[in-house]
Amino acid sequence: MIYAIIGLIFGIVGGVLTPGFIPKIYAPYFSVALMAGLDTAFGGLRAAMEGDYDNLVFISGFVVNILLSVFFCYAGIKMDIDFYLIVILVLGMRIFNNLAIIRRLYLKK
Amino acid sequence: MMTVKNKHTRILIFLVCIILGYMITMQLKSHNQYQNLAIQRAEDLTVRLKEVQADRDKLVKELDEYRAGRISGAAQKEMDDLKARAGETEMEGKGIVFTLDDSKQAAKSGENKNLYIIHDEDLLRVVNELRAAGAEAISLNGQRLIGSSEIRCVGPTVLVNERRLAAPFVISAIGNPQTLESSLKLRGGVIENFKFWGIKADVVQSDKVRIPAFKGNRTFEFAKTVSAEEKKETGQTATDSKGVADNKASGDAGKSLDQQQASQKNAGGAQ
Repeated sequence: MIYAIIGLIFGIVGGVLTPGFIPKIYAPYFSVALMAGLDTAFGGLRAAMEGDYDNLVFISGFVVNILLSVFFCYAGIKMDIDFYLIVILVLGMRIFNNLAIIRRLYLKK
Repeated sequence: MMTVKNKHTRILIFLVCIILGYMITMQLKSHNQYQNLAIQRAEDLTVRLKEVQADRDKLVKELDEYRAGRISGAAQKEMDDLKARAGETEMEGKGIVFTLDDSKQAAKSGENKNLYIIHDEDLLRVVNELRAAGAEAISLNGQRLIGSSEIRCVGPTVLVNERRLAAPFVISAIGNPQTLESSLKLRGGVIENFKFWGIKADVVQSDKVRIPAFKGNRTFEFAKTVSAEEKKETGQTATDSKGVADNKASGDAGKSLDQQQASQKNAGGAQ
C-alpha cells in the first residue's frame, strides 16, 4: 500500500514538473486511458482485499485495458460514433462497482 | 490490509501508480491549458478582429476619399499650402492692429466735410502700405483681404468682400510688427495725413493677431484655367506674337479713336 501511495506522489510530481501538455487531438484518448488505468487500479485493490490478487492479471489488465479503451476511442472517432463515451461509462460503472465492494470489504473487517 | 508478497510485485505496483499519478496530473494540467488556450485564442482573435476592423475602416475611408476625388499625402500638403496662400484658412501670428475712426473735429466753415471722414481711398492706401511692408495676411473689420477683395465706397459705408463696413475700421495685419508700424508712421505717410484731418489712427503691435479666413465664395464665370498641355502648344506663339498683338491692339485703339472723333464730327455737322 505504501508503495502505491509513494508511486502516486512520484507520478504527480513528475506530471507537474513535465513541461508542456497533451495536444488537444489526443485529449479523448488520454482521458479514456486514465479511466482504464483507474479502473484497473481499483480492481487490483479490490482483488488484494479479497485475497486473490494476481500480479500478472493486474499488470496485464492495466496494459490491455488502457490499450483497448484507447483503441475503442480511436475507432469511435474514425467512425464518427462517440465510442469513448461508452468506454468511459463502462469504466466508470466498474470503478463504482469496485469501490462499493472495497467499501463493503473494509466495513466487514 | 493488503499484504504484498514479493519485491517484484511491489515494484510493479509502484510503477503502475507512478503512471497513474502522472496521467492524472497531465490530464488536469492539459484540461486547464485547453481552457486557457481557448480564452487566449478568443482574446487573440478579438485583438486581431479589432485590428482588422480598424484596417478596414481606414481603407474604406481612404477609398471614399479617392472616390470623392480627394487627395492625401504630399498633394494634400500642397493643397493646404495653396489654401493658406489663397486666404482660405484662419491665420495667426505677430503683427499690428490699426484702428481708424472718423474725425470728431467740426469742419471749419467753407471746408468740405468729406475731408474729415474715412474714405475707401484712405483704406486702400493703408492696405497698400501694409502690403508694401510685407504684410502676409490682412483683414479689415474681420473681412479677409485677398487678391480679389474690393474696397469701395458705397454711400456712407465701404464695401469689402461684398459686405458693407462702417467706421471705425480695424485693420489687422500679420507681418513684422516693427516694419508694419514704421511703414504707416513714415514722414508724410498715411498716419501723418490722417492726423492732419483729425482722423483717429492707432497702431498697436501685437504678438497674436488673428486673421479670419476668407468667407465669401469665388467662382470663375469667364476665366478658364489653361492646362499645361495647352500652355506648351500656345506658349511659343503667344510670346512671339505678343509684340505684334500689342501693336495691333494699340493700332485698333487708335483707329477706333479716329472713328469716334470722325463720328462726333459728323454728328456735330448734322447738328
